Amino acid sequence: MGRRNCSGQALLVGVLLIALILLSVELYVYEVGKAIGEANPNSLSEFIFAVRLGSRHVVVGSLANISQGGANQNLETNLERWSSFVGRQYQLGKYILSFTARETPPYSSGIWISWGTNGSGVSGAYANFTLKLSDRGIEVNQTYAINVTTTLLIQGSYRVIGGSNKQVNVTSNLLNEGTPALAKNLTLYYNNSSVWLVPDSQNNYTFVDYGNGTYFMSFVADIPSENVEVSVHVSDQRGINVQANVTCTET
Amino acid sequence: MLFNKKGQIRMIEAFLAVLVILSASVFSITLSPTASSDDEKLLATLGMQVLMELDNNGTLGKFIDERNWTAVRESLEILLPVGVSYNVTVYDDAMSQINDSTVSNGLKGQKIFSVEYLCASQSSEVHFYLVRLQLALVR
Repeated sequence: MGRRNCSGQALLVGVLLIALILLSVELYVYEVGKAIGEANPNSLSEFIFAVRLGSRHVVVGSLANISQGGANQNLETNLERWSSFVGRQYQLGKYILSFTARETPPYSSGIWISWGTNGSGVSGAYANFTLKLSDRGIEVNQTYAINVTTTLLIQGSYRVIGGSNKQVNVTSNLLNEGTPALAKNLTLYYNNSSVWLVPDSQNNYTFVDYGNGTYFMSFVADIPSENVEVSVHVSDQRGINVQANVTCTET
Repeated sequence: MLFNKKGQIRMIEAFLAVLVILSASVFSITLSPTASSDDEKLLATLGMQVLMELDNNGTLGKFIDERNWTAVRESLEILLPVGVSYNVTVYDDAMSQINDSTVSNGLKGQKIFSVEYLCASQSSEVHFYLVRLQLALVR
């Protein structure tokens, strides 16, 4: 009698063990499914997009700082800070954002500042990024480049209107990454006997904003020299400064 | 023979019990998380898209740099659909909360989901922020 009861209990225990194994498998499958759901490609791609956008803002802000007189190394310093910040915040997996500031001429430490006397001025920054992300079951290895360039092109002409009085016309075009862009501030200077002056209402100064990144300026000044030099200093909407000088041609 | 039949009945009972337990667990596992997961995905996607839209030209970072919480609130109310309540908390890179006033339309809902957005300002100082946007569907 005692033997028979024991045999039934053993069967029951066996069945319960099988049930437990089944439940464990079920729970495991559920957990794995849940993990994949949390790291779904949508949220991951949005996160990557947000990091790329942030990287761009860092490059823009750094270039603005450098074009206002900051050190060229500020780009790399800020990118290192950004990379570290992103790595600290991503807690679901391993995240590495590395970068290389471009060193190919005309860039140095990722920066290209060329404010020339030939009617062209450039403030640019360029960095390559590598983003490595490993999450549960997902591996991302992405490279991208960020190029921020503000270009100013100016043309100037003058005509003598009597004695050394000259009417000077200057046209400037502002570009962001090769596309017409609006200026936040624009200041025109002219060289009169080695002194740079800003024309005002006494010079019949006129300023026309065409709304497409093209600006026209005209003024009258007593400039003894035949070399009429003008300089345009511009800050674009992102706060990046650029300037260009040109010697006006007589018409 | 009689004892064997009893044993078989116990076995069947045990199997039935196991089946009941398994069915219940499978049912609860399969159904309940899926519904909340859908809401979560919807709100997470919505939250990220709204923040990315606001940050696209550096506006979000500019507002935070200026501590212009009114502008953040107004922008979110334009971008978020009706029926979604929200609350925003902004942290600096040392993870200290910097919004000293509430940026919210009165967060309410049965389930509240959060998205975290890393923001870099375009200013020449270049500041980094973590923006936590909590969202809930108002039913």
